[in-house]
Amino acid sequence: MMRKSLDGLALKELVEAGLAWLRTNQQTVNALNVFPVPDGDTGTNMLLTMTSAYNEVSSLGHHSAGQMAAAVAQGALMGARGNSGVILSQLWRGFARALQGKDVIDAPALAAAFAEARDTAYKGVVRPVEGTILTVSKDIAIEAEKAAQETDDPVEVLRRCVRAADESVERTPEFLPVLKQAGVVDSGGKGLFFILEGMVRFIDGESLESPLISVQPLSAMMLENAMEDVEEGQDWEVVVDFRPGNGFELQTFYSRLDQIGTSIQVGEGEGIYRMHIHTPLEKRYEPIDYIMNIGTITKVAMENLLAQMEDIEGRAETSIELANVEPGQIAVVTVSPGSGISRIFASLGVAAIVSGGQTMNPSTKDILDAFENLPTDKIIILPNNKNIVLAANQAKEVTVKQVHVIPSRNVPQGLAAMLHLNPDGDLEKVAEKMTKAIDHVVTGEITVATRTVEIDGVNVREGQVIGLLNGKLAVSSDSLEHACLEFLEKAKAADYELITLFYGEDLKNLEANRIADLVREKYPAQEIEVQEGGQPHYQFIISIE
Amino acid sequence: MKIGLVTDSPADLPLDLADSYGIEVIPAILIIEGQEYVDGVDITREQFYTRLPAMRHHPTTAAPSPLDFAARYQKLLADGYDHIISIHTAEKLTSLVNFARNAAREFNGQVTVLESGSLTLGTGFQVLAAAEAIEQGMGLEAILERVQSTRQRVRVAAALDTMDYLRRSGRVPAAITAIGGLLSIKPVVELREGAVKPISAARTTRHATAALHEFLVSLGSLERLAILHTNAEARAREFLQLLMQDKNRRNIPSEIRLLNVTSLIGAHIGPNGLGFAAVKKELA
Repeated sequence: MMRKSLDGLALKELVEAGLAWLRTNQQTVNALNVFPVPDGDTGTNMLLTMTSAYNEVSSLGHHSAGQMAAAVAQGALMGARGNSGVILSQLWRGFARALQGKDVIDAPALAAAFAEARDTAYKGVVRPVEGTILTVSKDIAIEAEKAAQETDDPVEVLRRCVRAADESVERTPEFLPVLKQAGVVDSGGKGLFFILEGMVRFIDGESLESPLISVQPLSAMMLENAMEDVEEGQDWEVVVDFRPGNGFELQTFYSRLDQIGTSIQVGEGEGIYRMHIHTPLEKRYEPIDYIMNIGTITKVAMENLLAQMEDIEGRAETSIELANVEPGQIAVVTVSPGSGISRIFASLGVAAIVSGGQTMNPSTKDILDAFENLPTDKIIILPNNKNIVLAANQAKEVTVKQVHVIPSRNVPQGLAAMLHLNPDGDLEKVAEKMTKAIDHVVTGEITVATRTVEIDGVNVREGQVIGLLNGKLAVSSDSLEHACLEFLEKAKAADYELITLFYGEDLKNLEANRIADLVREKYPAQEIEVQEGGQPHYQFIISIE
Repeated sequence: MKIGLVTDSPADLPLDLADSYGIEVIPAILIIEGQEYVDGVDITREQFYTRLPAMRHHPTTAAPSPLDFAARYQKLLADGYDHIISIHTAEKLTSLVNFARNAAREFNGQVTVLESGSLTLGTGFQVLAAAEAIEQGMGLEAILERVQSTRQRVRVAAALDTMDYLRRSGRVPAAITAIGGLLSIKPVVELREGAVKPISAARTTRHATAALHEFLVSLGSLERLAILHTNAEARAREFLQLLMQDKNRRNIPSEIRLLNVTSLIGAHIGPNGLGFAAVKKELA
């Protein structure tokens, strides 16, 4: 397939191919997680961003390349989730800007588009970090420029860009020591590589659909996260543990499962295989029947995902009274990871809550909708997560309302900022005060390590309880209470006045209070407060002030 | 014309100043667990705050009888004063000023009753302004103008150690007791025209003190200042140190008193509260 230029329809096909290949490799990207904590998965975030981008053009027919690119950029902008998703959407924005008014994309236009994409993405980040998706976009742009001088075939340019991206991704650990330490490459860069590679695979007629067969270690299967991407109609989650019989063949196994459902994951450990799949109601027994024929089943778990989701949503909606804001007043929108934390934010005068946090980053559109639904034009947003700040900034760019983004990186910072809200004050001044307040707290996050790693001088075994101090790994321990106490010691809690423990949804009130009593014993001079946070995955969020 | 001054005990005028200017102070009556105590006579401030956390009912204040006011006015006039200025705590907080007004009616315009719109030294500073004006030999009109001018420049603020007492008092709008919601909070409030207005909220004493300090600095140059506390002299001293180290200390008057504040407001604030009363300098 040799083309000297690509029209709008061709671009649409390439976007679709990039999306499909990224979906296929989503878990590979997700697995490139530096910190052993459950957090916003880059692969998922980029995939959701690309899905939104493609949805914007899915119904478009013949359009100029410029118009098509603009629609892709618009879709990516609204669907952007997480830092990598936001940067991806900015790449598309620059890409589209360079193609404005162009009917077709020739080699020089493609090079110019990659260059503008890079420039826009760099500008969108306050302090660009090398060794990330930004670096990869830069290397792509450099290669595109070189290639465009040597060939007039845009496909050849794209092909060379894929190779450049691949090499660039492999070099990311040289820029970022944390990547090297964790033994991974940058996830955002890898995601960008897959999007471009998907385009070339499509041109070459290679398959995009069949997932690369891979078996992960049992423990690396992050099944609890699968909840967030339930596909329509695939309401049942089935997990089967089994010992494969003789003649077990992975390729056959996968293709059979592929006919039954989606979100297939296979893990292996000590001779036991674990299969995870989402299926429609009527097919929920099929994987079990099939596996019975090829091995010995040791355990089956089946859950109705929709019912579970409704349960979670229902719980979140009970008894949260948001502040009523009059036109002209300042309204605060906050991102909250749990029902208890939402209730506390509401009691402090928050006007709108966007659900989300570490493991589920809301999209630019989710945040934008919250802005648009408020009756006032003066808005302050608390992202409460470092991976949501960019999406919040992007929503600010899109809305016509006056928005201030307070760069709160966690819940305690958001709560500290809320204490300085004056709805009738001057927006600039109030935002300034609230921003200053986020430095008033020291934050701890207690969770379970998702893998074995050594980071920041702390050795962590998978399954251990770990404590992060202001986002940095500080302690690891075999028990929750020891992790908490060790964390408080590391955080020099004795030098402060107040320790607030927000306990997560996995923890019972009694257990939280038992640990709080241990803390009280050790810190008699400090005030200890226990609050139900309801956040997933994090047993405790701790605020020290 | 010889002019005399009367005020009430919740104005917190230090005894030595009241004595040296010959100011009559009418004590409020405290009602604690159903029993009456004469403020500063039957119960000291220290005793009051020590007992406060254990009180099952929120303490209230009552005015002494109107006869007490009349008797004070009578005495001053008999001592050769031609006119009396009677300055009292905000009427939103206590009925003292109404009792004074009623008593004054019997004196054919010889007693001018002023409502301070404030409390503790917010009232006391207005009384002092009058006393100094009298000493300078000003006429009645000029003295009243001095008091009025001081009244407009007076500011009283407090950093509460807890919201509990404010909630319990039931005298403060829900909008204020709702600050902090589910979290325990140390509010910083301003008391103006007898109403409580939030300035800021903090979760720790350190930040509450900082917010109070920031508010004080925002007032600019001060003519008078007193640091107030509710049985928290150590905290008050620390605050004084903070002011002395401040780069803005030229804005602060040379005489600063530390004062265990009137139980009238202390009952709402609770023990271990910190605050100040200040008079802003007149703009040149």
